[in-house]
Amino acid sequence: MAGVIDIAAAVRAGRITAVDATRASLDRIRVHDSSINAFTAVVADRALAAAARVDDLVQSGRDPGPLAGVSFAVKNLFDIEGITTIAGSRIDAALPPAARDATLVARLESAGAVLVGALNMDEYAFGFSTQNSHYGPTRNPHDVSRIAGGSSGGSAAAVAADLVPMSLGSDTNGSIRVPAALCGVFGLKPTYGRLSRAGTRLFASSFDHVGPFARSVGDIAAVYDALQGPDPTDPVCAGRPVEPVASVLHQGMDGLRVALAAGYFTNAGHPEVFAAAEKAASALGVVRHVNLPEPALARAAAMIITASEGGELHLADLKAQAASFDPMTRPLFLSGTVVPAVWYVRAQRFRRWYCRELEALFRDVDVILAPATPYPAFPIGQRMMEVDGRQLPAAGHLGVFTQPLSFAGLPVLAAPIAGAGPLPLGLQIIAAPWREDLALRVAAAGEAAGVLAPPPVKF
Amino acid sequence: MTNPPTPPIDLQRYVDEAAAAIGLSIAPQDMPAVVAIFANLARVAAPLMEFPLPADIEPSPVFIAGGR
Repeated sequence: MAGVIDIAAAVRAGRITAVDATRASLDRIRVHDSSINAFTAVVADRALAAAARVDDLVQSGRDPGPLAGVSFAVKNLFDIEGITTIAGSRIDAALPPAARDATLVARLESAGAVLVGALNMDEYAFGFSTQNSHYGPTRNPHDVSRIAGGSSGGSAAAVAADLVPMSLGSDTNGSIRVPAALCGVFGLKPTYGRLSRAGTRLFASSFDHVGPFARSVGDIAAVYDALQGPDPTDPVCAGRPVEPVASVLHQGMDGLRVALAAGYFTNAGHPEVFAAAEKAASALGVVRHVNLPEPALARAAAMIITASEGGELHLADLKAQAASFDPMTRPLFLSGTVVPAVWYVRAQRFRRWYCRELEALFRDVDVILAPATPYPAFPIGQRMMEVDGRQLPAAGHLGVFTQPLSFAGLPVLAAPIAGAGPLPLGLQIIAAPWREDLALRVAAAGEAAGVLAPPPVKF
Repeated sequence: MTNPPTPPIDLQRYVDEAAAAIGLSIAPQDMPAVVAIFANLARVAAPLMEFPLPADIEPSPVFIAGGR
């Protein structure tokens, strides 16, 4: 199957119908999803009806929208009218069906895109591996014995396996960037407050972001542009006007000050990760290194706030039916309920200090590069990982390089490093708040130079 | 991130009592994992609590008086 831009162009020009494009996606899901377990629901009837409406618009000479006929699927914490939003849980499966679509689902469909289903995730988004005990693990399309990453594992795997050309996920501590990196696709976590979260199941509201996955820079820019815009029903959505990025990609890296993150971002991972990031940076002509202010404390503060907000959000169910939680997340949520208030408030105050320091750093640099994960995808079921001679929780440590960035709400594109090795590895391309355009320009330059590209999938 | 030092307080007792204070009962089979995770939070919280933050650094909550 082709990508977002190619499919939309073909549908808009009448070279293929949206119904045929949708059928192709539904066929691939039917044939291949049993191997990777990315989907938890497929809405074939709704998809074919939406595709037929797009074809009617094309045939009658009206504008079907910039994403005409492009299939997409969403992490199952996004509301889809008529089906229950399970958020990876068994508890929420008892809730009534959603009354309306999440804002971003509606926005993509109004741009002509066609929703085909809902995607697997860690329960309530608390995890980095999508080893969901209720719905089964999502498997990595590059090696189905390994994790896809998480918590938006289904969103990354479905795009990597070409079941859909684009998807939506959410990122609180790395849940878009980690699976994008491990599955070898692009994943964008925009600035905190950029995209509407209305109609999604929140996890830790201080850090909850939503964003797209796709297989090229042009594709992810096209989706992101269709997702932007104010939404008064999300109190965190900043209400900024649409600031399109697709039209600036051609500007490349000219005039941009780009540096590779040093110190913290060169430790506590496997050597091949740092070698791949160095090689990619070098191929982009990046020679500068910068240190971020106290990134280890930023990660600590992110952990405290996440545990505390997640624990509070689920307290009623933890009291009434703790046994119904996934064994992978239950102790995480339980421990979050007893975090002392002084830790939480200190973490929130530290966040302000950290953002001020970053603001000063970004006066001197436009874009920062860093590895996305400390190691590639590990085998499903592996509990611990050796790093520098220490045994660390294999899944929990996956966020070591993503958490200090979402903590400040910075826009970050996770991009697949071309030729990284037998398994995909990702590069984080980080910009100052509200400067998604700069991160995407660097990515476009990297893609054009052959430095950033999704590795081929074998099935 | 070396091995955590011996905790200055009995973390299992803290978790148990703090949970009781909010009306939460943690099953005995969950307790080892919960205490281990809490111990890790305590370990990373320690340097954060020691960090010299100026008093005029406020949190950044999204709060609009009277709004939404």
